[in-house]
Amino acid sequence: MIAQTRAELLKLRTTRTTVGLVLGMLALTILFGLLAGLLTHAGGLSTPEDQRGALGVGSLAGIFSALAGMLLVTGEYRFGTIRPTFLFTPRRSRVIGAKLAASMVAGLAFGVVGEGLGFAIGYVCLVARGIALALHGGAIALLLLGTVAGVALWGAIGVGIAAIVRNQIGTIVGVLAWGFVVENLLFAFVPSVGRLTPGEAASALAGLTTEHLLSAAAGGAVLVGWVVLLALVGLALTARRDVG
Amino acid sequence: MPVVLSEGLTKRFGGLTAVDDLSFALEAGTITGFLGPNGAGKTTTLRMLLGLAAPTAGRALIFDQPYAQLAGAARRIGAVLEATDFHPGRTGRDHLRTLSRAVELPDSRVDEVLGLVELTAAARRRVKGYSLGMRQRLVLASALLGDPELLVLDEPANGLDPEGVRWLRDFLRGFASDGRTVLISSHVLAEVAQTVDQVLIMSRGRLVVETSLERLTARVGGSVRVRSPQPAQLAEALRREQIETTTGNDHALLAHGTTSDRVGEIAFAAGIPVYELVAEGSSLEDVFLELTSETQP
Repeated sequence: MIAQTRAELLKLRTTRTTVGLVLGMLALTILFGLLAGLLTHAGGLSTPEDQRGALGVGSLAGIFSALAGMLLVTGEYRFGTIRPTFLFTPRRSRVIGAKLAASMVAGLAFGVVGEGLGFAIGYVCLVARGIALALHGGAIALLLLGTVAGVALWGAIGVGIAAIVRNQIGTIVGVLAWGFVVENLLFAFVPSVGRLTPGEAASALAGLTTEHLLSAAAGGAVLVGWVVLLALVGLALTARRDVG
Repeated sequence: MPVVLSEGLTKRFGGLTAVDDLSFALEAGTITGFLGPNGAGKTTTLRMLLGLAAPTAGRALIFDQPYAQLAGAARRIGAVLEATDFHPGRTGRDHLRTLSRAVELPDSRVDEVLGLVELTAAARRRVKGYSLGMRQRLVLASALLGDPELLVLDEPANGLDPEGVRWLRDFLRGFASDGRTVLISSHVLAEVAQTVDQVLIMSRGRLVVETSLERLTARVGGSVRVRSPQPAQLAEALRREQIETTTGNDHALLAHGTTSDRVGEIAFAAGIPVYELVAEGSSLEDVFLELTSETQP
């Protein structure tokens, strides 16, 4: 399992796609960090919740972490490398397990870099504009750790969904549509259900206190629940299905 | 114990029977040609042997175990199913490293197999710039990583130039000469006729022939064209081995119902020089087509 995880991490490191994902994450974090930190009216950056949004802009890295996880699976089906992968490691649960682990390691890196940068940009903007920091100690720690943990878990969610769907375009379009459209609609119109979606659970995990969101602990539990559920379904399907 | 054992192996896709009650066994040290036209069920059979597809009925064993349950499968079996199984943006060497790392083989082994297939110079280039022949050699390298006892290759000669085919033939001969086993599929008999000891011929999901190449040749009355400065002595040596000969044009001998290997060995044993030795492949190819043609009952 450890050897296979190292192999999966090497797969991530040896394509330019991953470089592209990192650059995309950095660009988007800088853009949104500056937009939130500089263009928002000072009154819109005063409450703790406002500041969580501005300082937690690194949660964007979750998109890229999920993409890396998805590509780690769908890329193998797309290019046929899944055949040699399974020939070398016939126990398919070990392959999927290793991909889950590798995607979370990669996601951790995405989260640390993305939220580190996002927090730094937000903090510098607040200080430069003379806005007092409304978050302290524990709240900041929860924001940083929760955001990073959420980004890491998004990687595993990407692997789980991709193991179920397998098709690259289908997986990516489906996940982005879900994350950007369905979750927001659900949360807006049926918040009691919408708060259980992975995206809103991740927000809760980062300590956001928007109305209807779960507590941080419950959000974390729900997000881990999604990872486990998707991973189990992905594992079961991968074990059963023929490889073409 | 056979190295590969297929018992009643069957695969159905909906109403289509791709592989129908296939049984055969391969012994260690043999090179077997797995032949049949495209769509005969060869690749589906190999996928079942290698644990990528589950049989509808029957079983496939390698070293007495289903592939998926074989401990250290990658160090005992090297297999190639498609010559296109690469991420185009990864270098050849990195492709092999992603595989070797999973079975804890060192990078030095990766460099070794790259040397073995003569790809060292291109090792750090991205695969998308590789020719088809280079890709074939790279997949072969991946199969060799674990220094396997059994090689399973699906259409490895596809896209190889004549020089590449010759290189592959020599390579496989060397591989099998120390007791290791090769199963190699092809839809062109001529590609493998000079390499294999025995053939399995599939047509429309069924095994139609399982025999030695020698017997197949004898059965179709195939002949070997041999040119020698001592044709009379050679004809006599062949006659002693119950091989009939006739004299063709340009004074070459035609030896009937045998293989070029056999004629070469007899000439060598008799100390007779041979200038040219050619299996007249057309007749073999004819019987192959006849055996696998759609009009066969």
